[in-house]
Amino acid sequence: MDGFQTVLKFFMNRKTAIGYSFMALLTMGGERVFSLVAFRCPCSNENFRYGLVFLFSPAFVLLVIGYFLNSKTWKLFTGCWVNPRKIFPRGNVCHFFYVFGQITLNALVAPVMWLSVALLNGTFYECAMSGLENPDHLNVVCNRKSEKCFEELHKVPCDKSSMPFSESDELKRTLQAQSQILGWCVIVTTALLSLLTTCCASCQSKVSHLQLMFWRVYEGTEKEQLEHIFQLYATKLSERNLKCFFENKEPEPISLPAFQAWENASQLYSFGSTKQHYSTIHRLVEEGQKGINEERETMLDSVDRREIP
Amino acid sequence: MDRLRGALDFCIRHQTVLGYSIVSLLTAASEHIFSSVVFKCPCNSANMLYGSVFLLVPAFILLLLGYMVNARTWRLLTGSCPSEKCCNCSPWGTCSRYCQVLVPVTARAVVAPLTWIAVALLRANFYACAASGNSLIKDLICKDQGEECQNLLLKIPCDEKLSTKISSEFLSLEAQSQLIGWFLIASIMTVALISTCVSRCCSPVSYLQLKFWKIYSKEEQEHFEIKAKEHATKLAKINTNCFFEATDPAPFQTPSNEDWRKISFLYTFNSQEQYYSMIHKYVNTNRGNNAKFEEGGQNPTVLGFVDEAHAIESGF
Repeated sequence: MDGFQTVLKFFMNRKTAIGYSFMALLTMGGERVFSLVAFRCPCSNENFRYGLVFLFSPAFVLLVIGYFLNSKTWKLFTGCWVNPRKIFPRGNVCHFFYVFGQITLNALVAPVMWLSVALLNGTFYECAMSGLENPDHLNVVCNRKSEKCFEELHKVPCDKSSMPFSESDELKRTLQAQSQILGWCVIVTTALLSLLTTCCASCQSKVSHLQLMFWRVYEGTEKEQLEHIFQLYATKLSERNLKCFFENKEPEPISLPAFQAWENASQLYSFGSTKQHYSTIHRLVEEGQKGINEERETMLDSVDRREIP
Repeated sequence: MDRLRGALDFCIRHQTVLGYSIVSLLTAASEHIFSSVVFKCPCNSANMLYGSVFLLVPAFILLLLGYMVNARTWRLLTGSCPSEKCCNCSPWGTCSRYCQVLVPVTARAVVAPLTWIAVALLRANFYACAASGNSLIKDLICKDQGEECQNLLLKIPCDEKLSTKISSEFLSLEAQSQLIGWFLIASIMTVALISTCVSRCCSPVSYLQLKFWKIYSKEEQEHFEIKAKEHATKLAKINTNCFFEATDPAPFQTPSNEDWRKISFLYTFNSQEQYYSMIHKYVNTNRGNNAKFEEGGQNPTVLGFVDEAHAIESGF
C-alpha cells in the first residue's frame, strides 16, 4: 500500500509533463489514424484544397475544443451581455484582450501539436503541394526533371504518373523533406516563443517563486473546498424545501450569499502587491464587498490558468 | 511484498541517476523511432539541410525543454526584472550572478540533447544523408572524378550499392558518423568527470556534510509541500465558510509577501554560518530582520542541488 502511494505521488508530482506527453501521443495516434483511414489524396487539381483542409481543419477543431474546455473562458463571458462593464471595466479596457490572449495561448497547444505531427508525417503536405499550380513553385520542384513533371505532378502522391519510378520517387521524397523541415521549424519556433514568454512573465512577476508555488496549492484546495461547501449547502437547502413542501410547514431561514456577493465572487482575480489575498473570495471575505471595485494592479495568469471545469 | 518494497527503496534512493537514465533511454528510443519511421533522405541537393535539421533541431528543442523543467531557472528568474528599487545594481554584477547560476543548470539541461546527437551519430542515418550533400566531403571523396561522382554521392543514402561505384580511400559515411559519435561520447564523459572532480575539489563543504545536506534538502521540500497543503486547506476552509455565512473571518496567521520573498532568494553559502537552506537562514536570523540575513556569500557549484529540490511543476 505504501509503495503504491509513493508511486502515485511520483506521478502526481509530474502531472503537467505526463499530461503534455499524453496529449502528444494522442495527437500522434489520431494523426496516424486519419492519414491511414480517412485520407485519400484525389490526385487531381483538387489536391491543394484537399491537403490544406486535412491539415488545418482538425487544428481549428482542436482550437475550439481548447476554448470550450478552459474555465477562464466561461468566467470571462458569463453575464457579459447583461453587464458589458464586467468585461470592459472602467479605466482598464485592455483587461479583456489580455485575458482572452492568455486563453488563446493555452488553447493553441493542441492545434500546434497536430500541425507539427502532420507536417512531420508529410502525407498531407505532399498531397497539397503536388496540386499547387504556382509557376515559381513548379519550377523549383520540377527543376532538372522531365517535361511531364509540370503536367503530372498532381498524380505523383498516388504513384499514377507516367514518369519513371526514380523520378517520381525523388519528387515524393523532396516534397516530404520540405514538409518535415517545415514541421521542425514549427516546433522550434513554438518552443522558443513559449520559453521566452514564460521567462518574461516570470521576470515581471510581482510574486516570489515559493509564494507562487503556495498559491497554486491554495488555488487547488479552494476549488475543492468550494465544491464541498456547494454540495453541503445545496443538500441542506433542498432538504429544507422539500420537507416544508411535503409537510406543509414554514421554512426555517438558511443564510446564503446575496446575488451581488455571487457576482463579486465570480470575477477574475488580479493580484495587488500591497495586499495579501490569494483569490477573489479571500479578498471579499477580508475586505467586504467594497474591496472588489478598487484599482487592479498586476494580472497574474497563474491563478486561473490551470482550472478545469 | 518485501522485495517490492526493497526495490522501491532502492529506486527512491537513487532517483536522480535513475531519472537521468530514463531520460537518456527515452531519447534513444525516440531517436530510433524517428530514424526508422519518419526520416527519408531526399537524395538530392537538399540532403545537407535535411540531415542537419534532423540531427540538430531535436537536440535544440530538448535543450529548451531541459531549461524549462529545471526549478533553479525559475527560482532565478521569478520577479528578478530590474525594478525601480534596484537603481544601484550594477549590470555586470547581475550578469555574473546569472551566469554563475545558469552554468550548472545548463550542465543538467545538456544531457538529453547530447544523448540524442550521440545516438543519432551512432545510427549514422542522419549524418550519412547530411554529409552526402556537404561540399567539403564532396571535394574530399570526389577529387578529380567529375559530375558523375557528385550525383552518385547524393544518391548513396537511398541505395547502398552505389557506394561501390565510387572509388575512394576514405571511410564510408556510416563509419565516419560512428567514429564521430564514439569520440563525442568519450569526450563528454571525460569533461563530465573532470568538471565533477573540480567542483568537488573546490567544495567548501566536507563529504559527509554534503550527504547530510542532500537528505535535508529533500526532507525540507517534502515537508514544505505537506505544510503548504495543510495551510492552504485551513485558509480555504475559513474563506469559503465566511463567504457562505456572511461572517467575518477569524484572524489567521499566514506569512506575508515580504516573508515569501525573503525565502525565495537563491541560496548562497557562507562558511561562518551553518544554514542548510534559505528557510533555515530566515528562521534563525529573526525572520530575516537580522543584518546577517543579507550578508553575501558564495555560490559553489557543488551546492547546486539546494535550490533544485523543489518540484518540477514550478516551471509551468
